[in-house]
Amino acid sequence: MYCAAQPKGRETALGTVASMAADDRVALRDVTVRYGRRVALEAVSGEFLPGCLTAVVGANGAGKSTLLAAIAGTVRLAAGSVHRPRAQRLAYLPQLTALNTDYPLTVQELITLGAWRDIGISGAPDAALRTQVTAAATTVGLQDRQHRHIGELSAGELQRALFARLILQDAAVILLDEPFAAVDARTTSVLLDQVVRWHQEGRSVIAVLHDLALVRANFPTTLVLAHRCVAWGTTETALAA
Amino acid sequence: MMSAHALLIVPFQTLGFMRTALVACVALALANGAVGTLLVLRRMSLDGDVLGHAVMPGAAISFLFVGPSPTWLSLGGLASGLAVAALAGMITRDRTRHDAGLVAFYLVALSLGVLLVAWRGSNVDIMRVLFGTVLAIDRNALLQTAVVASMILLVIAALYRPFAAGAFDPTFLRAVAGRVPYDAIFAAMVVLALVASFQAFGTLLAVGPMLLPAAAARCWGFGVASSMVLASCFGLLASLAGLLISYHANLPSGPAIVLSAGLLFGLSLVATHLLRRLTSRLGERV
Repeated sequence: MYCAAQPKGRETALGTVASMAADDRVALRDVTVRYGRRVALEAVSGEFLPGCLTAVVGANGAGKSTLLAAIAGTVRLAAGSVHRPRAQRLAYLPQLTALNTDYPLTVQELITLGAWRDIGISGAPDAALRTQVTAAATTVGLQDRQHRHIGELSAGELQRALFARLILQDAAVILLDEPFAAVDARTTSVLLDQVVRWHQEGRSVIAVLHDLALVRANFPTTLVLAHRCVAWGTTETALAA
Repeated sequence: MMSAHALLIVPFQTLGFMRTALVACVALALANGAVGTLLVLRRMSLDGDVLGHAVMPGAAISFLFVGPSPTWLSLGGLASGLAVAALAGMITRDRTRHDAGLVAFYLVALSLGVLLVAWRGSNVDIMRVLFGTVLAIDRNALLQTAVVASMILLVIAALYRPFAAGAFDPTFLRAVAGRVPYDAIFAAMVVLALVASFQAFGTLLAVGPMLLPAAAARCWGFGVASSMVLASCFGLLASLAGLLISYHANLPSGPAIVLSAGLLFGLSLVATHLLRRLTSRLGERV
């Protein structure tokens, strides 16, 4: 399967290098997922090469979110296999509805969770990390909201905070499930800029999307799903299929 | 007219079992404040209720073979509580069957426990297992309660971050923490807290001092740590009020404590509702 080759190992905003390795590819072999008797995905095969920017599109219930969950390893496969990077190099943002926003975390605490790799289960954030958290919050336009509880945020602000957490995660492969659903045009523009920045830094971004105009304008490659793989290649050819 | 000293101090000054009960309630309120707050925030109140009853069959089996020994009742309750927590964890994977499955566990565990105790014991034994005997806590049981409560607080302090991350975004926790079973560890803390409360409040009421003060504290909309502290304070206040009501009105102490906690929940609901209305009216005027 096709995925355009991307520049590798550029300097990122966090000052670390997202060097792409062969282990950062995502390869699917006959991936099949069932929920009870219902088949969500059937025999999907292909490979997302390091540095790709790929949209996953299809009708409601076509298996798009299931594909991302299968790549992230949070759903059990009925058949097939997934080659994915090790957990620390993969970041997965599920749909907003999967989150419990009653939990009284502050925006700052939420973003800090992105540095799990460094602080673990009990480490305290140091001054350098706090600076990175503020920088990530500023990138997504939440610098004035850092001490707000997440329950007080709009859907768009919450998605911005989750993107800031992704920035801290500094992952090589980023999975986004409907990242622009229920957010306004201004937020979409801010988040899309960040997606493009990740792509330019050489990270792989795989996003479930509905807006085909947005896909055509920003995503070089597209996977069209209808439980099975209908088309996978350059956006132009995949959407024409 | 009774003086404040006679009303509040004399019962604890004169009776050793009242003092022991109060100290046990202090230990339980501290552990329950932390566990209950996390249960409420994780939207797992029903799970807590079910685990409260899951303690029953194991405690009943211990009662059959060893009699009413607090240690063996606790160990039996712990074994069956952990077994049901594991089974509940398995059915949780299918959310559509979650509630029905939990209610089935609740009913089966309760009925099985009552039948087992009734088989060899008396009605008094059944009442003791169902509603507890907070005034009959002896030195050994008090020590057990204090040790278990301290363990729970230490584990929650050490694993607070994964518990918080899992409550807000379980997918993120699975992705960053790998295969460490934080949900199972939290369920084990809930079972431990319920086992610690079992002798004082029985299988029917044990979840009350855990959930009601936490639900009352949650009404005030503070952060997690403040909610835990407030829940513990509410738990202490309810315990003190319940024990005094029980002493002065000659009523069963467990239900009096749970009722006091329920009253605090009701008052918190009304007070925070009125406060919000007042704040919004003042905001409109400004």
